[in-house]
Amino acid sequence: MNYFVKGNPDLCIGCRTCMIGCVVAHEGLHIFEIDPDSYTFNPRLKVIKTARITVPVQCKHCENPACMAVCPENCIQLVENAVVINTDKCIGCKTCMMACPYGAIEMQPDSGHRVQTDGSPRMVANKCDLCINSKRGPECVRVCPTEALTLVTEEDLEKENAKKRIAAARALAEVNG
Amino acid sequence: MAVKQVQTTCVYCGAGCQMLVNVDQEANKIIDVEPANGRTNQGRLCLKGHYGWDFLNDPQILTKRLRKPMIRKGGKGSPLEEVEWDEAIRFTADRLLEIKNTYGPDSILGTGSARGAGNEANYIMQKFMRACVGTNNVDHCARI
Amino acid sequence: MGVPEIEEARVLLIFGYNGADSHPIVARRILRARQKGAKIICVDPRVTETARISDIHMQLKGGSNMALVNAMAHVIIEEGLCDEEFIARHTTGYEELKTFVERYTPEYGEEISHVPADTIREAARLYAKGEPSMILYGMGVCQFSQAVDVVKGLANLALMTGNFGKPGCGIGPVRGQNNVQGACDMGALPNSYPGYQNVTIPEVREKFEKAWGVPLSDHVGIPMTHVPDRVLKEKDPMKQIHAYYVFGEDPAQSDPDLAEVREALEKVDFLIVQDIFMNRTATYADVILPATSWGEHEGVFTCCDRGFQRFRKFIEPEGDVKDDWEIISLISTAMGYPMHYENTEEIWNEMIDLCPSYTGATYEKLEKYGGVQWPCRSKDMEDKGTPYLHKDGNFANPDGKGKFFCADWRPPKELENDEYPMVLSTVREVGHYSSRTMTGNCRTLRSLEDEPGWAQMNVEDCRELGVEEGELVKVLSKRGYCITRCMPTERVPKGSVFMTYQWWIGACNKLTTAHLDPVSNTPEYKYCACKVKKIEDQKWAEKHVREEYAEIRSKMGIQAAKEGYAL
Repeated sequence: MNYFVKGNPDLCIGCRTCMIGCVVAHEGLHIFEIDPDSYTFNPRLKVIKTARITVPVQCKHCENPACMAVCPENCIQLVENAVVINTDKCIGCKTCMMACPYGAIEMQPDSGHRVQTDGSPRMVANKCDLCINSKRGPECVRVCPTEALTLVTEEDLEKENAKKRIAAARALAEVNG
Repeated sequence: MAVKQVQTTCVYCGAGCQMLVNVDQEANKIIDVEPANGRTNQGRLCLKGHYGWDFLNDPQILTKRLRKPMIRKGGKGSPLEEVEWDEAIRFTADRLLEIKNTYGPDSILGTGSARGAGNEANYIMQKFMRACVGTNNVDHCARI
Repeated sequence: MGVPEIEEARVLLIFGYNGADSHPIVARRILRARQKGAKIICVDPRVTETARISDIHMQLKGGSNMALVNAMAHVIIEEGLCDEEFIARHTTGYEELKTFVERYTPEYGEEISHVPADTIREAARLYAKGEPSMILYGMGVCQFSQAVDVVKGLANLALMTGNFGKPGCGIGPVRGQNNVQGACDMGALPNSYPGYQNVTIPEVREKFEKAWGVPLSDHVGIPMTHVPDRVLKEKDPMKQIHAYYVFGEDPAQSDPDLAEVREALEKVDFLIVQDIFMNRTATYADVILPATSWGEHEGVFTCCDRGFQRFRKFIEPEGDVKDDWEIISLISTAMGYPMHYENTEEIWNEMIDLCPSYTGATYEKLEKYGGVQWPCRSKDMEDKGTPYLHKDGNFANPDGKGKFFCADWRPPKELENDEYPMVLSTVREVGHYSSRTMTGNCRTLRSLEDEPGWAQMNVEDCRELGVEEGELVKVLSKRGYCITRCMPTERVPKGSVFMTYQWWIGACNKLTTAHLDPVSNTPEYKYCACKVKKIEDQKWAEKHVREEYAEIRSKMGIQAAKEGYAL
């Protein structure tokens, strides 16, 4: 089963530390050294604020990903419990963006600053990859000041489900007397 | 790369978070910041604590670091010119003395700083205003 | 009380304090208290992050704090929810207060604050019954022309319910900047020497005269917020301010009514700016003295709960810069009052020996214990400081008792009117600090939020004006105008505009008033009349903002600014 990061609106204060953490994790610490205008600020999660809710929204790493099903270039794959876009192969057709029911995919300039033949930036699909290339795990989870984000694993879900089943069994026992 | 780790207090906001700064000693630059287990922050930092340090490298995004004393030698309206410290200190001291002698010590007002300068610098500033200039006209931006 | 103790409160009354934007790490403690079962009462005109998770949100009309606080006191007294024993043993003036708040019925409170009378009742009961209850307040209390009264009114609530001097209670001002507490502690105030020792008390003055070896002024100085008046309006040259030494501050960005402040900076005879970055104020300076930054020097900060903590040097400064204390000492010496120090510890030791409340807070203890909350009176290693200022209900008044205080509600100074029908209130942007010379020079923080900032407005107001999210709008008051982006949100009430003060183009302090609280001299940043206008030619406005930004940046010494920069 794929993992995913879940935000808790009861703990989120909307500060967007997670969004910066995401950019730093994917672009690398060298962004603090380079020309300030030469890096891409492309957070793969977005803090959403409605009248009464504040929470980051990002890819759910679906088991049957609509994005993967519709990608004409087959550049969306399952890698280590995550749904990951191979941006090298991405042609920027936006089909995945339209297919995703969470609004979790955006078109962003390629992190490698590669350009097209006419010099315009190469735009690619961009979304959460659970920081699979980092030993520290998802950076958004690590840096959140209020611990509002958690990585949900298959084991976590099973444990939660087991608890729910026990509660359900007790409830049923009461109903049936 | 020789890395040294220094524990310090964050420079933003009154929460007083403790942080560990990783420094590349040869390059004399921060590599990154990790939260430390301080009394108030318990191993967490906010966005300013985690990512609010690259101003030290003078990236010239918004404003420029000041690196050399400057004075307007020709008075108001003349350009700011870079000078040596001796000249800047002499210029400042003479002008302050002249104003103090003409209008009295209460015609001069100095501020403390509620930001990165620290308590010792604030103590020195108020001592300077009170003992050297001779006025209690010292204040800071507590009100903003 | 201290920041960790927030978690021990069972009821938190959070009054005009938006921790999520001003101190995320303090906001974290509020969330943890809630997870442990604490009830939250939030008083704020906006649906802040705290309001969102609160049990009771009193969404008051700005400028009505005193009426609401008095009405809460009324309910607590009327319903017999006071801690009679605490009142008898530790306070004075209760009977006067009791008579005074009689007319502040919840219904009268509702009339002024627009908070339903029953909500006021419910909140007062919840606060009074909490064991213990803690009050946290912020600039939503302090930045009104009636501010000190409200602080005393909040203290009334804590006194009448016995919420002082034990864990998890009390009344906590959550100080904004990293060392605003420290600047006060060190006597960067017109009325007190370091350690809150008043300049008008002869014995105190004699002590400092002896230590510093010179006679000292016996009258209170003037506050910074009076400088524009003393430069521009004072007619007597002997009473004018002729020299202004600005150290690590940026009044040309942060003070109210910027047009007036900037005129004063232009006209003052001699302006000294000592800072790490070029800023708005420095463009007017006659002398610029470059200082070392945090990270390049060491010392002690005081955090919001009176905690002294060391901060350390970790990189070598570049360029011809000096530590702040060294620069000031050099000027002093050149003026004929020699000051020589080898390091910050030497300064610290001189200071703590002059201040009974800090005497025990040696560098050694700060190192060993990671920090010390003052008062810390003895150098004995066993004195580790004081988490509770009014321990066991002992107060700083001569009789050791807490004094109840009566004050009537006064309206803000500049009310909405036909020409300016909306209210502007200035607030904080979480990723930027003060006038943003530091955070605006940080790549990722700049990427998150940049010029010209936002005007948060109610969705309906935006619809009526025909403006959409991100559209550039003009916000105007009697004193000036600025251009910023519109942010429609259901989190702010109709008729109000909320803006943050660190932007150069969206500079809301061009609009704010210089009306001050009579005691604290704090400006009424939270209330002035304004209006918002749609800009028809958005292309022009975008271009104008870009050009103005480039122009100011180039004034600040940024060469690349001229080449333009996408917002």
